[in-house]
Amino acid sequence: DLKDPFSLAQKDLQNLYEDIKKQLLVSKAELNALCDYYFDGKGKAFRPMIVILMARACNVHSNKEGALLPAQRSIAMISEMIHTASLVHDDVIDDSDTRRGKNTINKVWGERKAILAGDFILSAASMALARIGNTTVVSVLSQVIEDLVRGEFMQLGAKENENERFKHYLEKTFKKTASLIANSCKAVSILVNSDPEVHEIAYQYGRNVGIAFQLVDDILDFTSSANLLGKPSAADLKLGLATGPVLFACQQFPELHAMIMRRFSSDGDVDRAWQYVLKSDGVEQTNYLAQHYCQEAIGQISQLQQSTERDALIQLTELVLRRDK
Amino acid sequence: MAWRSRLSYIGWRHLSIFSNPSPSNWTKVVSDAEKIVGYPTSFMSLRCLLSDELSNVAMHVRKLVGTKHPLLNTARGFVYDSRNNLQMRGLIVLLMSKAAGPCPSTSDPIHDSMVSGIYPSQRNLAEITELIHTAFLVHRGIVNLKEWTNSDGPLKDMQFGNKMAVLSGDFLLANACTGLAQLNDTKVVELISSAIGDVVQGIYHESSTSAEEGSLTVASWEDQTFLSHGALLAKSCQAAMKLARHGNESQNLAFQYGKHLALGHKLNSDLHTFVKSGSEPAVFSLDSAPVVFHRQIVGPERWRHQLKQVQNMARQIDYTKLRGLIKTERGVSQALDLCSYHGNKALEAMKCFPPSEARSALENMACAVTKF
Repeated sequence: DLKDPFSLAQKDLQNLYEDIKKQLLVSKAELNALCDYYFDGKGKAFRPMIVILMARACNVHSNKEGALLPAQRSIAMISEMIHTASLVHDDVIDDSDTRRGKNTINKVWGERKAILAGDFILSAASMALARIGNTTVVSVLSQVIEDLVRGEFMQLGAKENENERFKHYLEKTFKKTASLIANSCKAVSILVNSDPEVHEIAYQYGRNVGIAFQLVDDILDFTSSANLLGKPSAADLKLGLATGPVLFACQQFPELHAMIMRRFSSDGDVDRAWQYVLKSDGVEQTNYLAQHYCQEAIGQISQLQQSTERDALIQLTELVLRRDK
Repeated sequence: MAWRSRLSYIGWRHLSIFSNPSPSNWTKVVSDAEKIVGYPTSFMSLRCLLSDELSNVAMHVRKLVGTKHPLLNTARGFVYDSRNNLQMRGLIVLLMSKAAGPCPSTSDPIHDSMVSGIYPSQRNLAEITELIHTAFLVHRGIVNLKEWTNSDGPLKDMQFGNKMAVLSGDFLLANACTGLAQLNDTKVVELISSAIGDVVQGIYHESSTSAEEGSLTVASWEDQTFLSHGALLAKSCQAAMKLARHGNESQNLAFQYGKHLALGHKLNSDLHTFVKSGSEPAVFSLDSAPVVFHRQIVGPERWRHQLKQVQNMARQIDYTKLRGLIKTERGVSQALDLCSYHGNKALEAMKCFPPSEARSALENMACAVTKF
């Protein structure tokens, strides 16, 4: 009988944000407030949940008990800290006003302090990572930090060739979203098991679920209303970004090519592109693709010994596809 | 309120890391030192500079030409200016590594991998130190869009400049992180990561304090300046010792050198305009040592009165007049004394290392920071 992933991870997730805040304690009151700003427990804690479930699933598979190692819990915290630091910087880069229903840090305190707060969260994550005392784990998660930045850079340029564009989009999606999940999963597996095949299973599960997650996110940007998400939709178009639904819609509406090249910068581009996408089967195709990645993830994780956590991770892919926010 | 930010610390509009000319002997000291470590340190981070991402950024940064975004100054410095001691920290880390000698145990695997008296891991650390320092130079140049006015040029230029500054700074920090991971020493990772946290705390309130407020005493000035200017160098020196398996004593001495050298250097830099001034117009930060010390000496009432004396109708400060006022009190001499103090403490730390060219170079640097 399948247990809901969120409930299963609940006990370990409890106090996660409190513990993160302890890592961020600093005497400068204002800096402290900025660092704590998004660790208010209102986030989805999606990444830590996956990490925790993966850790337990690996532990069972490795014939240890299902209970979480402290170092593994640390990884869950670290992954959430790295994720948040990157969000804080993204909001400055995108000049965003709101996130999770609140004003962004840059809007309240200015761009300069927002960047510094992000840097501080990153340094705290790095210290926590080092304290685990495992150089392989440090390497694995440091790669994420590099991938996040490279992913951001990839968004700066636009590709000429249609085929290249999709490849570029998937690679960017890996770097910006999936790498963190993949490598966090890999890290917790390393902490309990020395078999590289197990590391690969954990990594591939994380990678596939991560990509699926982002694809669904990109769909929601077109289909959901502003209220549910806590941030405005068609946001990607407004930023000049062509995501899955748009790239697929190109096949039916070649007019989109020119708009993509100029990053939807002409008057009316955003609205027209949005209309084209909704008229096309772009959303449907992106959904199929997300399902494919979820199938891959299931195939990977099924190689681990059965456990409640492993089954929850399988069920998780279903939740990813069915998200409405 | 807009006038407050103009009154306060000179802020990003005047931000320039090149505003103070170095003493002529400093340049010589540095170039002599570079020979000792095997190559000019301006080549450090070159690998990083050749990356696609940064050439991408360089292309975009060209669009900033003609705008007033601070990133342009920082970038210009890389292309044109190799003599401005941008790589000072890395150089010191290399010298310290060399001065400390080989690792104590001959059976250690790293023992035979020295090149010019320095281990590869120590060279990498020196580069990482520079990456972090540069990342923060770049991130400090980010402007608060709320403070933008028409005289700064088109808003979209500032937004664009910010975007480039965030990305390039992040890129440098990310490279530092992966570089740290490759050192295979989690204690060093922890130490240097803590230094990154220190720098953030040190620079967090830069350019946000107003002229009248600010309660920096001499002691808190030192604490603050240690965070913003000393922690990275001190901890990197310590880490260099750790990488060669030197014991706690060496690590501590290296830390002390780094700390005192950095503080002395900052004091020297702050003092320049008060000590070397001819008739050039003054530009200085109200957070600089002589000003902070002066404020503490004259007290808040007199300070407010003095500020009024040097402000025009638009409440803009005449820094040349202010400098004149400050020179009549003891703030400058107090800062000079402190500068000598730190220079000497740095020298003291080096005495405990065996004599060598590298040690002499570090001693010369410690002396040079006390000279004008």
